[in-house]
Formats: sequence, C-alpha cells, structure tokens
Amino acid sequence: MNLVLARIDDRLIHGQVTVGWGRQLRPDHILLASDEVAADAWQTRVYAMSVPPEMKVSVLPIEAAARALREPDGALEDQRVLLLVGAVLDMVALVELGAPIEAINLGGMHYARGKRELLPEVYVDREDVMALRALRDRGHQLLAQAVPGGRETWLEPELLAEMESQL
Amino acid sequence: MIQSLVLTHGAIGDELVKVVEMILGPVPGLTAQSNRGLSAKQLSAQVADWVAGLDESGGIVFLDDYGGSCASAAMLGGAGPDRVTLLGGVNLAMLLAFVTWREDLARDELVQRIVDKGREAVTVVGAGR
Repeated sequence: MNLVLARIDDRLIHGQVTVGWGRQLRPDHILLASDEVAADAWQTRVYAMSVPPEMKVSVLPIEAAARALREPDGALEDQRVLLLVGAVLDMVALVELGAPIEAINLGGMHYARGKRELLPEVYVDREDVMALRALRDRGHQLLAQAVPGGRETWLEPELLAEMESQL
Repeated sequence: MIQSLVLTHGAIGDELVKVVEMILGPVPGLTAQSNRGLSAKQLSAQVADWVAGLDESGGIVFLDDYGGSCASAAMLGGAGPDRVTLLGGVNLAMLLAFVTWREDLARDELVQRIVDKGREAVTVVGAGR
C-alpha cells in the first residue's frame, strides 16, 4: 500500500479530492474514515457515488480504518490510497491507533460556530489547534493546501503557537 | 409551482440566475445557492431548508457537476426523487427551459424537456476563420 495523501476535509469526497488531487496523485482507492458516515448507509452510498469509476472506495469507522492501514491486505493491498477524514480529532485517533501516517494535508475546514479563520479555508477552534499541535509534536508534517499547486502553508510549531494565542 | 435551486460551486449559480432574469425578468422560485465556504453539513442544511419550503409540485435541483459536494449535499439534504429531481451539468438553456415550461408540464415531462434543451445547447457553433 502507498498512502499518497492523508487529508482532513469536512466535505469528505468532493471535486477537490477526486478531480484536483486525484489527477495529481492518481490514487486507486479512496479510504473515507468516519464513524458517522460508516454508520449511515445512505451517507455511505452518497459519498461512494461521488467517486470516479476508475477509483475504488471504502468507508470505514475509524478503528477499522486504522486496522486496514496498519495491515493492508485484501482491498488496500498494492493500492495507492488517498485517506480522508472530516475532522482533526479523527486524524489524531487514526494516528493513536497506529495508522502509518506521516504528512497530513489540511483541506476544507469550514466555518462553524466557535471557529476562527486562521488560514484561508481553515477555520479552527482551540481543540483543533491543540490536536494539530499534538500531531506536530509527534513528528507529523502538517500542510494546509486545498488543491495541488495552491497556496501552501506549513503548520510549524511557531505558527501553531501563534494560532493558539489568537483563540 | 415547481421551484428550482441552482446549487453550484462559486458564483456560477448566482450569475446564471441573474442572466435568466436579465432575459426573462424576475423569476419567482428560482434560487441560487453556492457551496462557497460551507461544510458538507452546512450545505446539506441549506438544501433541507429549501426542500421544506416546496409545495406539492416539488422541485428541481440544478447542479454544475454530479459527483461533488453540491450533489452530495443535495442528496443528504433530503432532495429525494419523490419530491425533487437532481439534474447535473446546468447551463443557461436548461434554466431558460425550466422557466419557459414549468407551468405547462408535469415535473417528469419538464425534466425531460430541460435535459433535451440543455443537450441541444452543447454544440460546435462553428469553426473560427
């Protein structure tokens, strides 16, 4: 298995992922890790319908996704995998469950009550920033970039500390 | 009366609706909604609000693509086939057809007319000199 992108994006499977990153990275398989979506057959079906026919898709709860990433066999074996989660805390959970994730891409993290825009299209609250700092402290590279070739912002410890001070 | 929601990326829907109204005058029940700045849940909630306001004639959601955040939001927002038809690939001809025939045709027939007109409009107009 080759994990070509691990992305936090609250729109989950959509054009920036399937067309934008898909064209650049040529994933064979999109793995959507979400307890909420995996527990809802209609949401699972809707998101699966958004995947182009040349890509496979799996929608798994966080724990099962971490296991599949740790021990890729069957569906994910020999695949170029694009991993999606909808929230920072889901990425933290995957990492803590041993998923072999290195760099993390932050895509669409949209406005919600209590969140502030600290980068274009990246709205966070204190809990998000704490979780991002925890990921950075564990050695994960954090890159905010919506689409290939788009503006890149590396979330270095200094920037995360500055973000936290603004919340 | 059959209503429609033009659900698109960026300002596509707003601008299409403005052009339709520039050509035909004000059109009640023709609304644009952008996905700009909204999460999947927020966009779905916007669609759900629109669906809740439909009468028994139902509605049509026009999408600029059929495999992205707008299509997902439409389906997750409750735009099911009993009340709402989802149409991808919106263009100006489709919206003009919607406004022109929505009071004369049942929703199924109207949808077919819109699709036909939309396809007709995708054409090679002529080669450059």
